[in-house]
Formats: sequence, structure tokens, C-alpha cells
Amino acid sequence: MNTEIQDSQARITKEEGKEGAFEKTWSISFCTHSGKRRSSLKNLKKRSCQTASISTAEKAAQTRKHVDAQVQTEAPVPVSVPPTSLHDDPRLAAFLRRVEAMVIRELNKNWQSHAFDGFEVNWTEQQPTVTCLHTLGYPPAQGQGLHVTSVSWNTTGSVVACAYGRLDDGDWSTLKSFVCAWNLDRRGLNPRQPSAVVEVPSAVMCLAFHPTQPSHVAGGLYSGEVLVWDVSNPEDPLLWRTGLTDDTHTDPVYQVVWLPEPRHSHRFQVLSVATDGKVLLWQGLGAGQLQLTDGFALVVQQLPRNAKLKKPPRGETEVGATAVAFSSFDPRLFVLGTEGGFPLKCSLAAEEAALTRMPSSVPLRAPAQLTFSPHGGPIYSVSCSPFHRNLFLSAGTDGHIHLYSMLQAQPLASLQLSHKYLFAVRWSPVRPLVFAAASGEGDVQLFDLQKSSQKPTVSIKQTQDESPVYCLEFNCQRTQLLAAGDAEGTVKVWQLSTEFTEQGPRETEDLEQLAAEVAT
Amino acid sequence: MTEWTNEPGLCPLRSSGPRPAGLGAQAEVEETLKRIQSHKGVIGTMVVNAEGIPIRTTLDNSTTVQYAGLLHQLTVKARSTVRDIDPQNDLTFLRIRSKKHEIMVAPDKEYLLIVIQNPCE
Repeated sequence: MNTEIQDSQARITKEEGKEGAFEKTWSISFCTHSGKRRSSLKNLKKRSCQTASISTAEKAAQTRKHVDAQVQTEAPVPVSVPPTSLHDDPRLAAFLRRVEAMVIRELNKNWQSHAFDGFEVNWTEQQPTVTCLHTLGYPPAQGQGLHVTSVSWNTTGSVVACAYGRLDDGDWSTLKSFVCAWNLDRRGLNPRQPSAVVEVPSAVMCLAFHPTQPSHVAGGLYSGEVLVWDVSNPEDPLLWRTGLTDDTHTDPVYQVVWLPEPRHSHRFQVLSVATDGKVLLWQGLGAGQLQLTDGFALVVQQLPRNAKLKKPPRGETEVGATAVAFSSFDPRLFVLGTEGGFPLKCSLAAEEAALTRMPSSVPLRAPAQLTFSPHGGPIYSVSCSPFHRNLFLSAGTDGHIHLYSMLQAQPLASLQLSHKYLFAVRWSPVRPLVFAAASGEGDVQLFDLQKSSQKPTVSIKQTQDESPVYCLEFNCQRTQLLAAGDAEGTVKVWQLSTEFTEQGPRETEDLEQLAAEVAT
Repeated sequence: MTEWTNEPGLCPLRSSGPRPAGLGAQAEVEETLKRIQSHKGVIGTMVVNAEGIPIRTTLDNSTTVQYAGLLHQLTVKARSTVRDIDPQNDLTFLRIRSKKHEIMVAPDKEYLLIVIQNPCE
């Protein structure tokens, strides 16, 4: 009898047991019926089949050897003079014996010689007058009526950046503003088209380029935030920001400065001063956040009482800071200009805790060590002399410039430059006796204390309608350039005449003499 | 101001005979350099060896290294200039006058003595 498979049922069952195991066996059992349908269950056969186990093998691939290589430039290590060896001395002594007489003779002759009196050599082309090299502006910002609040040159001296904002707003503003940078070395420089523009949600009050990175710039906003941008990256220029935390300033930030870190002198941190009385030090962390590392708070009760100050309005304990300048000789010493009109001599190493109730993640200290005699109005700018360790200048709304020495509270000299406000004052980086001031009457005034201590040597008219000049900066790399920004939204780059850029032979001594003379 | 005579082998300032070598030589070197440094207007003094490496100095490290390297090269060039013009001639002294001061170099086979003076003007 042939068994035909009709009406067959195939049942596929899974063997129990190895749930999840890779090898599974399937058994298929056929139930066959015979064709006659007599007794369906008579010819039942069980058959099973099974797939052969699938062979698997583990293989791994991995590079066995690898080499790590890194390249990094490091700040140059100062070279040290190798220690002397004793074996050299007899020969060295013999050499000195041979040449000493000749050298001393030449030194004496030199001291008495008049051979070179009045002899001067001109290596560069002489520039007799001050000329305006560039007039830079950003039309969308000028269209909004924004002022240039701050200018800054970068570390190579080829890029000038300006910050737009308003200096006469009384209340909070949600004005969108800009930070623009022009690269003066680029061919085809378009004065109305900056090489880099950064849009900022709030008015920018101050700007400072990084001391070693040519494209990093820090700025302080009207809202109290501090931001750091990279102007070489047009898509996403924002590098770090403080955000609006408890630590951030609650008032406009008037000045930012880059300082070397105490232990790693090739890394820098940002110091910001604002009218809420706080001086804060920020460090950029990886996630784009500026972290507060140190801070100071100015409280009226903790100010040194050596100068007579006006009584502060009742209830106010904070002293608003509007300007800061660091000494070039002592990196921890700085001068703060205040709203009360009196400069303060401060130190980063001050230890006394500040009596302030302002919240802060880092304990705030009171930095003031000496209070100087005040101006007639708030101070807008201070500048420490790069050639004399004790001299600094301050400019205020009373139109006067005061020359102070760190050693005494009374100013050494007081010059009236303007009948309106003075917004900025800067010492020249090459001539010890020269400084420049920006006035509310639209002039940039250059003073040469060697020529005259009463009136400016040169007064450059920057604006035609007497709108104020708000900021100015000397270019430390190209010392004949001076940038000044005004209320019309223009930045003018002035080329100074040779008399302002070439140092005479004895100027540093003359400056010291002046400081000593006036002090007595 | 007395004029020192250039008698070879006789140093006018010493009253006793030659000092013993070793520690005496070191003291003599220091004394001589101090005498030169204390002269009117002298800003800095340094001694550089034949390779341009400073071995004594009164200035800070970075300035010294800069002066030593640059002046050593200049002295070699000056000497070769003099000898190229006249092979029988040789460099005895080099003076560079700049706006701010005067640099004087006394050359020798093994050492260079560099003195920087701010002349009276």
C-alpha cells in the first residue's frame, strides 16, 4: 500500500529546554494518513529531521601595535646662564688683565666726549603731522544710532576691533549690538565692511583682545555678562560666556582686562569691573562656561579713610567701579576708578574678606589699600605709566586729568582739558612723557609733558559736529597708530607724527625727574 | 681723571705681586668686573666665551643671552671684515653707538668683554 501523503499536517515543534541557546533543533513530524481513510491513526509514522548545528567561530581583529604622537608648542622656557666653572678662572683673569686698561680708557673718553652732541640719524621717513589713515564704520550699527564704546588692537597690531553700544542710556535696553573687527593688513580693506562682525544680544560696553591669541577678544555687556569671542570663526564666534548666574555682575561691565594666571603664566583669565562694586576674575572652562575663580567687592565701610570723601547716599554700600588699570611693574597691583571720583590703589593679594551680602560662589575680598583724593565727578578712565612704577593718570567727568603717584593721596598735577567730560586717557607705549585723552568735545588731545604741561601739543578733531570721542587705544606693535571711536559710530585710525613715536635719549630720566619735582 | 698707561703686564691698581691661581683668580675676576661696572654711566658688563655663551654677567638672563648671541656674531663679522681688507690687520675694539647708549666690545681669542654705557648727553 502506498502511503500517499494527503491531508498531511506538518507540525513544527520546538524542542524545549535550550531557550535562547544558539543551537536549536527543530523537529518536524509528519502525520501521514493513508488514502483509504479507514482508520486514520493506523499508519502513523514519526519522522524527525534536524539541521546540523551551525558552526560558529569567534574571530577578533585588532591593531596590536600603536604609537601615540602629540605635537604642541610650548611657551619658551627662559634660558639661563650656565654656571661658571672654576677651571676657567686663571685664563679669564689673564684676559681681563689684558683688556681692562683699554676698556676703562674708552669708558672715560666716552663720558667726556662731545663728538656726538646733536648728531641724529633718521632711519624712517619723517612724518611731520598727524594724519587720518582710515575711517572705519559699520553702517547697520551707525543706522541704529549706536556709539563706539570701546576699541582694541590685537596682539599682532594688525586688527582693530570696536564694540558698539550706547553710553547715554539710563535704563535696561534690549538693544542688539555688534562687535566689528577690521584687518588693516588685508588688501582691499573696505572701511564700511568689517572683516568680522559678531552680533551680540545686548550693548557691549568694553572690549579687550587676548594678549597672545590674535583672534580671541573678551567683551563686557550692558547686562553684566562677560563673553569671549573668536573673530576668526564666522559661523560660531562665541567661545565662552558667564551666563546669568548668581555670580554675574548685576550692572553694566565697564572694563575687561586679560591677566596671566598666577601659576601658568602663558594662560590667561579675564577680569571684569562693573558698577555693582564687584571686580571678578573668570576662567574659561571647556564647556563654553566662564567660571568665577576669584573676586573682590568694594564696600564703602571698608575703604581706607586716608582721603576725605563725600558721604555716600544713605543705604548704599557698594562703590561702583568704572575703570581699571594694572601696573606694568607689579603684576598684582592695580588701580580702580570709581563712580565716586576717587581712584583706589588695590592689590590682587589682599586678604581681608569683603562685608557684602551679594551672593557669590567664591569668597569676595576687599582689595583697596589706599584712597586717592577725588575728582569732581565719576572717573571714566585710568592708565598706569609703562615707564614709571608709581605714576598713573585718571580722567573724569569734570574735564580734568589728574596725574597721581601711588605713594601719595593728593594728585601730583591736575590739568583741565575740556569743559565737557573726558572719556578716556592712555599713556603712550613708546614715549614716557606723552599721553592722549578723548574729550566730550570731539577731540583727541595729545600731551607732551616735555614740551608743555599746560596745554596739549596736538589737538585732533575727530568729529565734525562736536559729538564726543568715547575711547582710544595706542597700537603697541605699530607705535605710530592710534585708534579712536566716537559717538557717530566711526573708528578713526590716526597716524601720529614722528615726534610722538620716537623716544628721545633721556626721556625716562626726565619722567622720573618730573615725578620727583612735582611731588615735593 | 688720571690717564692709565697701557704698559703690558702691569696692572696699575694692584700693589702686591701676582695672586696665586685658583681662588685668587676668581676674586681677581670679580674685582675687575666690579671696577668696570662701577664706572660712570655703565649699565651692564658681561663676559662671553668663544662660542657665544655668557659666563659672567651683571644683567638679567634673557637680556644677557640676547646680547651675547648677537654681539658674538657681529664681532666675528667685524673681525673678518678688517682682515679681509688687510690680512696683516686685526680687530682690537668694537664700539656701537645707538640713540640710547654705547656698546663696547673688547675681543680676544677665547673671550669677549661687553660693556654697555649710557654716555653723558
